[in-house]
Amino acid sequence: MNTMTTQRKQMMKALRITIAFATAFVAITAQAQDVATLLKATDKYRMSADNLQVETLINVVNADGTPDKERRYKVFAQAKRQSLVLMQSPAEAGQKVLMLGDDFWLLMPNSQRPLRITPMQKLLGDASTGDVATMSWAEDYTGKLVGEEPCDDSGAAAKQSCLHLSLNANRKGVTYQRIELWIGKTRHEPVRADLYVLSDKLAKQARFVMDKPAAPTMVTEMVLSDQVSNHKTTHVRYLSRKERQVPPEWLNPMFLVRNPPLE
Amino acid sequence: MHRITVGAAALLFAALGCAQAGDSTAQFGGQVRAQWVGQQASSSGPLAQANTLQSGIVDLPVGVGALEAELRASGHGLSSVVTLQQQRSEGGATQSRAWVNELYAAQGAGAWQFSAGKKIVAWDVGYGFRPNDMIQQEVRRTLLSNTLEGRPLLMAEHFDASTAWSWVWVNPTASSDALGATEPALALRVYQRDGAVDWHGFARVGAHSGASVGAAAAWVASEATELHASLRYLQRGDSSAIDPAAAVLSLNNPWQLVTQSNVKQLLLGGTWTNESQLSLLAEAWWDGTAPSDAQWDAWFARNTQLGAMAAMGVPASAAAGNLAWQTQAFSTSQSLRRSNVFLRLSWQHDAWQPALDMLYHPADQGRILTASLTWQGDRVQVQGGLRSYDGPANSVLMQVPVSAMAYVAGTWTF
Repeated sequence: MNTMTTQRKQMMKALRITIAFATAFVAITAQAQDVATLLKATDKYRMSADNLQVETLINVVNADGTPDKERRYKVFAQAKRQSLVLMQSPAEAGQKVLMLGDDFWLLMPNSQRPLRITPMQKLLGDASTGDVATMSWAEDYTGKLVGEEPCDDSGAAAKQSCLHLSLNANRKGVTYQRIELWIGKTRHEPVRADLYVLSDKLAKQARFVMDKPAAPTMVTEMVLSDQVSNHKTTHVRYLSRKERQVPPEWLNPMFLVRNPPLE
Repeated sequence: MHRITVGAAALLFAALGCAQAGDSTAQFGGQVRAQWVGQQASSSGPLAQANTLQSGIVDLPVGVGALEAELRASGHGLSSVVTLQQQRSEGGATQSRAWVNELYAAQGAGAWQFSAGKKIVAWDVGYGFRPNDMIQQEVRRTLLSNTLEGRPLLMAEHFDASTAWSWVWVNPTASSDALGATEPALALRVYQRDGAVDWHGFARVGAHSGASVGAAAAWVASEATELHASLRYLQRGDSSAIDPAAAVLSLNNPWQLVTQSNVKQLLLGGTWTNESQLSLLAEAWWDGTAPSDAQWDAWFARNTQLGAMAAMGVPASAAAGNLAWQTQAFSTSQSLRRSNVFLRLSWQHDAWQPALDMLYHPADQGRILTASLTWQGDRVQVQGGLRSYDGPANSVLMQVPVSAMAYVAGTWTF
């Protein structure tokens, strides 16, 4: 009798543990699915269609508030994590960066050879090419919902509640390995982000400016504050977005070294 | 011929200028550059010896200042780059000249692209050495990088999302006796993208040099590391060497064209870059077209013999002239020695890029050291640097006519 009671107790214990694990697994899976859904919703504020042509203006401001430089880019952000960045300012005119998934090439106007560049080399500049070309997170990151927090420490955003997502890259080629992201609780628009590089060093902090703060539909500006070296602030302004799918050969580095007209 | 092509380019600029009002695809641009390169003549080597024996028999390296305007125009399927230059050497007169870097027509038909004219076509994956640069055959590791002067060619290319084929007929109107980059040749390149690896295959048939085949790859191995390799096999390679039958003291230039057989060239290299944009490039290569160790030994022995003959009363002008001919050894190949190691350390910090590099010859410990600094503004770039030739007294690099160089250049882009 005692033996049967002991066996029953052990079975009940095993069942409880199994149910607990299953519940935790389901909860984790559900949360992961929730984060993926949230990220997709957040991405729509920057990447409003699968294939886009985006005109981007970048202004870099020194730590003392004086203007440093201005750069203009045309970005063809395409589905399947493919982007082509055309640099249009005089200092960089003719330069191109092609990003196909985790693979990157730099194309210089006076060179007939596409240069394979590493993810580290992609970090180059106050606003790295990754900052300009990357318009979405959902395909590159997984993570967890940390909880509900004030959107910011100060200003009007402090009164609003945000969802805090902690994201880790699921691919090797992304610009930032970890992102702490705060998004609007109701509409899931991006509000701010802390961007960490591979060594887990905080590289930049980002703030997102929306078109209509009360009822946002798109990000009009991303403000990046350098946290590592020069403490400059970079304003990435999205001047225009239009749906456009480019021909497949435009995403071939050997085609791009010919300096073809890309209009 | 040069005036005709420059004139044609001027007409192209004018035509595109007229068309610009009604055609938004016509584009103009260019840059103006002022530069100065100072050279210190070496006190050793055959050129210095020749000048010691008979002062003024050869021109020693001197400083050169230049003002250049590079003009670019494209539209209506035509592209052109023209350079106008005014140059003055220390103690010399001012010289003006103009040349066409590129002037070609290009037309596409679906996945096909066709080009005809003078065009820069540069292949291969290395930095310090490019064995498969079969069309342009660019001189590498120059102090200042200028826009190259293209080659006359007809080219057909086919592209899809991850593959590219290029067929080139270069120098189609040149004589079959032409050598090197001016030789008429048919060349093929195939490119295949395969994830983190770019694969390249090459083939070339030259009117004089015969067939050669090559392969190259560039691989992003990790977050910070890129590796590349290039290999070429040449059925025959054109070079020059001293006529073995020539006397030590020769009345005519004893250097003659020679053809090497079964020549191999190989490059291995990689780049490492960290988060702070500190970058290290390392490359090692074998260049079978360069003179062998035995050929250099014979060359050194001949220099010694010529110096000794001058001391024994042979007319100084004869010994000096023969010593001056000995400098042809420096232009027989892209590499002076067959084994080479190249290291380059650079750092990109805001608008500044300091860099240090070294070319090293393991065979004799000779080395070329270069330090440079570049500042890049919105429209203005300023760069300067120093290059020094160093090594044991009996190394090949200590025999070249220049022992040190300095340069400064300012470029304004419009």
